[in-house]
Amino acid sequence: MNRRNVWIVAKKELSGINYEKTILFAILLQLFVAMFSSFLMVGLTSLYDPSSVSQYSTFRYSIGYAGANSTLLDRLRETDDFTVYSMDLSPALESLKERKLAAVIFVPDTPPDSTGPVQITLYTLQNDLQATVVGVKLKEVFLGFEGDLRDARASRITEQPIELEFPPAARTEGFYEFVYGLLIPLLVFMPAIISASLIIDLITEEYQHETLETLVSTPVTFAEMVWGKILACEILVPVQAGVWLILLAVNGIRIENPVPILILVSVASLILILLSALTALHYRERTAAQFIYSTALVVVILVVVAVPENPLNLIVRASVGNAGLEIYGAILLVSAAAGLLGYATHRYAVRVGRLAQGGL
Amino acid sequence: MGIFSDIFTIARWEVKKSFSSMGRNVLPLAIILFILLILATGFVARSGMHLQDGMYTLATDDRDLGNILASDGRFTVFISDGGTLLSERPAFDLVIVNRTILAPLTDRGRAAFTTLSRDYDQYVASVYNREPDLFAAYPLWIDLQYVKSELDFQATQNGQYISVRQRSLAPPVPQGPVVQVTPPPSTIPYSADELRKNLQQETGTNDQIARYTSLFTQLPSTTNLKTPDQLSPTLPFDSIIFVFIFIFPLYFTSQFFMMSIMNERIERKGEILLSSPVHPLVIIAGKMLPYLAGMLITSTAVILAARASLLILLPLVPVILFFLASALLIGMLSRSFKELSFISIFFSTIATSYLFFPSIFANVHVISLISPLTLIILQLQGMGFSAMDYLYSTSLFYLTSGVLLYIGVANFNAERLFDLHPFLPRLREFIGSSLSREHPYRSLFLANIFLIPIVFMLQMMALVLLFNLPMPLSLILLIVCAAFVEELAKSVGVFSLFFAELPALPLRTVVWASAATAIGFFLGEKLFLLAMLSQITDSIFGSILFLQQGALLLWMPLLLHFTGVLIVLLTIRTGGRKWYLPGVLAATVIHSLYNLYFVLGMAR
Repeated sequence: MNRRNVWIVAKKELSGINYEKTILFAILLQLFVAMFSSFLMVGLTSLYDPSSVSQYSTFRYSIGYAGANSTLLDRLRETDDFTVYSMDLSPALESLKERKLAAVIFVPDTPPDSTGPVQITLYTLQNDLQATVVGVKLKEVFLGFEGDLRDARASRITEQPIELEFPPAARTEGFYEFVYGLLIPLLVFMPAIISASLIIDLITEEYQHETLETLVSTPVTFAEMVWGKILACEILVPVQAGVWLILLAVNGIRIENPVPILILVSVASLILILLSALTALHYRERTAAQFIYSTALVVVILVVVAVPENPLNLIVRASVGNAGLEIYGAILLVSAAAGLLGYATHRYAVRVGRLAQGGL
Repeated sequence: MGIFSDIFTIARWEVKKSFSSMGRNVLPLAIILFILLILATGFVARSGMHLQDGMYTLATDDRDLGNILASDGRFTVFISDGGTLLSERPAFDLVIVNRTILAPLTDRGRAAFTTLSRDYDQYVASVYNREPDLFAAYPLWIDLQYVKSELDFQATQNGQYISVRQRSLAPPVPQGPVVQVTPPPSTIPYSADELRKNLQQETGTNDQIARYTSLFTQLPSTTNLKTPDQLSPTLPFDSIIFVFIFIFPLYFTSQFFMMSIMNERIERKGEILLSSPVHPLVIIAGKMLPYLAGMLITSTAVILAARASLLILLPLVPVILFFLASALLIGMLSRSFKELSFISIFFSTIATSYLFFPSIFANVHVISLISPLTLIILQLQGMGFSAMDYLYSTSLFYLTSGVLLYIGVANFNAERLFDLHPFLPRLREFIGSSLSREHPYRSLFLANIFLIPIVFMLQMMALVLLFNLPMPLSLILLIVCAAFVEELAKSVGVFSLFFAELPALPLRTVVWASAATAIGFFLGEKLFLLAMLSQITDSIFGSILFLQQGALLLWMPLLLHFTGVLIVLLTIRTGGRKWYLPGVLAATVIHSLYNLYFVLGMAR
């Protein structure tokens, strides 16, 4: 096999991709998703945990309290979040409608240690973001009240859970886990999936445009041509994945161990690319090859994800910085598999090439 | 009658062709893969997903607690004595000594802390769920009642708080008449067993897979009572992942439609069909029918398998149409399979973002209604949706699909299908030949009316993207984006139609074309706003996108639209076709300034 020939084919394919401006779409796409991921962070945090937005947390909401006295009333008065007014239910509800109150609570005169439950009613405004904010803030108070009631009924509870003391630091509703545990492995592997479907296009194109005969008549062998195409697709992977890591970093998402991650992604994607190259060589027709490839991809991803210590998991761990040397082991293992698969692809391509030269 | 039989004939050909081109040698492998897929699914179900394993390290001196927490794969648990742990605290994300969690030191630690506290809540709930005396373990139940506000309807939906800022010590006194309400009953209308079942459903298993599969069998919540723990709005992540199961086959099938269109063009087989006397619309309908049927059948199958309500099909229909219409255009526009792959990936990502991201906010914000998937999520959560909701969130999809289909049909001829011009000029030609050269003004007028849904859809996308940036920035960006989209949409028709003669277009034609465009656009905008979008346009973001000036005279926006097109056309007339984009930008600046002026005016 001539390395220069392989490189010439790879360069030709890369410039073809460049000429069609398709790569532009890919990069636009990356920017778009990167923008979205930052949007998601901000949006999810502020809408689902409104107290994370400072302007909401400093605000005192007016609450109407109707019905019997209880420790709930004391608890509401203790917090800085609410101004509580004891009033009758009917005027309270009318004030709520006129937005003079943010919520109304009605508490019945059920004694704390009664056998039945205490059913309180919380009135908020329909379809209103403010209702969500108030609800989140009230939840803490209600939880405290629930604790009071539980204490009053403690003698009737048979099994107490192990108690755990939480530090005063509030739960952060940050989306750390979503970003590092799902988004990053997904984004980093997206270029691999794109490249693998690209190789199908590149190979079947030769068959469907009937340009193969011309190619075979040049000094480039068939196997060299296939490897050139594989190389072109493989080069795109670390470049795109690297762009991802940079974009994420620009968005304030810092990723540890970028180099081993990129290496692992590159080798793993080589496996995908080789698999789809084999499929394309076998079927020579895009629809069939893409169909088989995408179904196989789903199977492979499912199996991979179900295995403990899989490459995706290792990328997650490496990106948060909780991985040891396992990632290098995985790189070795995946490289070995890619090598085997590469050998198989080479043999197959040589065979197909020989058949092609002997007249199609 | 004849048309329908033609459609069916073509549909039959399409099915036959795709089966024969897939060939017999695909089938065996496809069957093997299918069996493997089932096996793999079983494997995942048994072994669980190991994506986030070992993300956090946790150390404790309590073996029981360690065992409980180790059941969550995300934690790697170390057990050691308290003294060592205290001295090695920075080595772990979380340290629990003496059943007290030490405050986390890093971001990762804080994330671990959040996960831990969720796990702990779940653990506590699972212990209390088993209590024989349920009302001892769960003494407090909250009945949530929603009251419809009669004031300031517009101001609240965008998350602005208004007039609740009361400082006085005396309770507020309502202005309106007070309707006497009977206090709610103090007894619970449900038995303890019913409530317990609900609780267990919610906190039953911590298994990652069960979280998704349990949706398949989940009964709608039988009670509207909540414990304090259930009070916060639930992030519908699980429903969203579930909805993905609906959408995935749709992507898949529309891919095949794209490829079929592309294949006709590459192998020039389409020529035979084109030379037959049937209308392109019939050909397209026939080719589309098998895919449409396939999508509907798979969706129905998924719904039935999930034992969900068949009502979910309703919001899926416009999405399916939209996918098919886009697939048709993508298949017709791209020059090679490579380009097809990239454009289709690009399209599906954008469509996914538009469909999925708003629906994340299904439980908190009306804006989420711009995606039909929100309706599915609402339906899955047992809340249902009204006919009005349906109209709001699907009308854009229906209309846009219609317009895209029309462009596809108008260009379904040998000249357009088999030339190999680059992408953007091709797009321009497509639009150009959708317009009539004999009646330029009439077709410009109509085209701009029908462009409105697409414009709105693009503006909605901008809204989805921008509405969570900090407040003044998001408004300004939104104004500029909306103006740019409008100016681009208005000018693209004239530009494509008069592309050949543009630099030397007579002034009279310029003015008339601008007028036709402006009137069409204006009319379409107003009609559409009146008919469809009042709910969304009520929010402050909506009023910026669509600027309803209310009492303001109607000729102002009309004049604005006219000026915009005129600027673009005059720029091209003086500078040549290369000046198209600068012209649009100039018009955008003016348009934005106008909008800004009125937004500032409104804010006062």
